Amino acid sequence: MKTDNRAFIVRILLTITISLVIGAFFILLIGESPIEAYIALVKGAFGSKLRIGTTLAGFTPLLLTSVAFAVAAKAGAFNVGVEGAVFLGALVAAYIGINWTFLPKPILLIACFLGAILTGAIWSLIPALLKVYYNVNEVTVTILANSVALYITSYFVSGPMSAGGTVSQSHPVTVTLPKIMFPSNANAGLFIALAITICLHFYLKKSKYGIKLSFTGTNSLNAEYAGMNPKKVIIYSMMISGALGGIAGCIEVLGVHGVFLNNFAVGLGTNGMLASLIVKNNLVAVPFMAFFLATLNAGAMGIQQNTNVPKSIVDTIIAIFILIATMDGIIAYVKNRRLKKTNKTEVTR
Amino acid sequence: MNWQNIFNASLLYATWRSATPIIYAALCASITQQANILNIGTEGIMLMGAFTAVSTSYLTGSWILGVLAAMVAGMLMAFIMAIGNLEFSADITAIGMGINLFAIAFTKFLLNSVLGKSGTFSDPAIDPIPRVSLPFLEGNELMNRLFNNWALTEWFVIVLIIILTYVLYKTVWGLRVRSVGQHEVAVTSVGINAKLIQYQVLLISGVVGGLAGAHLSLGYSNLFTENMTNQRGFMGVAAMFFGRAHPVQTVIGCLVFGLADSIGARLQAYGWPSQIVLMMPYIVTIIVLAISMMNKKHRENKVKSALA
Repeated sequence: MKTDNRAFIVRILLTITISLVIGAFFILLIGESPIEAYIALVKGAFGSKLRIGTTLAGFTPLLLTSVAFAVAAKAGAFNVGVEGAVFLGALVAAYIGINWTFLPKPILLIACFLGAILTGAIWSLIPALLKVYYNVNEVTVTILANSVALYITSYFVSGPMSAGGTVSQSHPVTVTLPKIMFPSNANAGLFIALAITICLHFYLKKSKYGIKLSFTGTNSLNAEYAGMNPKKVIIYSMMISGALGGIAGCIEVLGVHGVFLNNFAVGLGTNGMLASLIVKNNLVAVPFMAFFLATLNAGAMGIQQNTNVPKSIVDTIIAIFILIATMDGIIAYVKNRRLKKTNKTEVTR
Repeated sequence: MNWQNIFNASLLYATWRSATPIIYAALCASITQQANILNIGTEGIMLMGAFTAVSTSYLTGSWILGVLAAMVAGMLMAFIMAIGNLEFSADITAIGMGINLFAIAFTKFLLNSVLGKSGTFSDPAIDPIPRVSLPFLEGNELMNRLFNNWALTEWFVIVLIIILTYVLYKTVWGLRVRSVGQHEVAVTSVGINAKLIQYQVLLISGVVGGLAGAHLSLGYSNLFTENMTNQRGFMGVAAMFFGRAHPVQTVIGCLVFGLADSIGARLQAYGWPSQIVLMMPYIVTIIVLAISMMNKKHRENKVKSALA
């Protein structure tokens, strides 16, 4: 088990290194210095208190969306629709936060979160039901549903819920999460996200549902023979996944923006998916990868401002990560070849 | 609201026009599905094709080179998927999504660094796919409006549908592809190299996907925008499910999406909020996909009960 863990870590580090090298190659191709670009990236993410705060603020929702993807993936569902849950959860949280002022503040805060959780869970229930009962491919449904969610929120925030300015956004919410690193956007949501991640980890490790989940994900037929209902497990996991997305949306509205800002969550879902996929949905490793991606995303601005390299290079590097990381077989392939080589030399000897 | 302004003859061409990029994408997905490979990367292949087509056409001044380059680019993207999936046991959905994200990021990167633009690239130097003018139709106003001045690729897609249907259902190779899709082990046991077929299928699908992108950027429009495929690739995949990977049947699904798109465009003129209009093709796609899969399940259940 220990050697397994070490191999896992080595593999991730190797993937990261290869991707950074390929990224450096692209930067060289456009005639810029990769070393300068990477230094600008690190400075962009950690150069000052403001920048560290910005990185943490970006990390908060990403942590939740990547855990959200991982939970669904563990049950064997590829939930690309977390982003839709983030948008709709945020919209409902904003609605409650603006209009339910008759509630006392602490209860209002909880109501916002509950609203977001419910919305996210119900939104993800649709593709889950379609998948388990009618075998409808969940990737296709959820990715199209993301566009639907985006347009729904965009409609509300530029129509019925609009604050009326030139920017499409809602009125400010009446309850907010405290900021922790002024003047950056880092807020108390970070602790909520971390707490949820830790609780979920232990819940999945100790509870009956967690065991069912790992059974279903590895071999759903086997799980069925053992008397579990894989359908229920998938539906449940997708709902948890959506709920986590909703929480991320709620934190963004209450903690960062204070309003519902049109298009605010574009890319949150896909980045979460990336973070989770790179580490094979391993819940212990997911937070670290989410942090790493948040660093890269925050550092991208630094690259763009201080060098002539466009910040899209960072997305490209992340995409290369994922391409390499999905290829499980590479390590085994290299090992086999080495084995063959040593065998050959032994024979010839 | 004047219904005649929405449902008139020109709606037919509008539908066909918005459906063609999706049809190409659906064909791209259908080819691999016949060999039981779900091509989630259709979207990325298409986007890469769209960018390559525009930039090549801009740099060389030739749409033919643009289209050819797009096909090569599409094939390369599919080749990455093939290597990953067939050699290194990458999960096809994961690597497909990886290809999609890579295409979005990399085309953006190239757009910024090579063409020096951000967001959209359009230039009079981009040579578009020519439009086919049929002089003999000019006498008849209706026929002229419906069939004249189609982009060449809008006609070609019909040829492609016929070719693919023929190849998949009437040739030995097509039979092998479909048998790989049904039972890989059985196929291997009679001495056919299933892996080779899967490679071929993925590469051909890449070529078609590249063509889809070229049509989108040089035929359907004449520019490149970041993420311009806008999930048409996924609509193609949905249409493929709808038509159970049969080229002709998938087209029907595409036409439904094209119809939703073009009706939406007309409703916008009547003060419908743009978001609702833009949402329509996506909702229609999801609903059509769900209904067709429910139907399939229902049919399967019937067959099962007949056997028992």
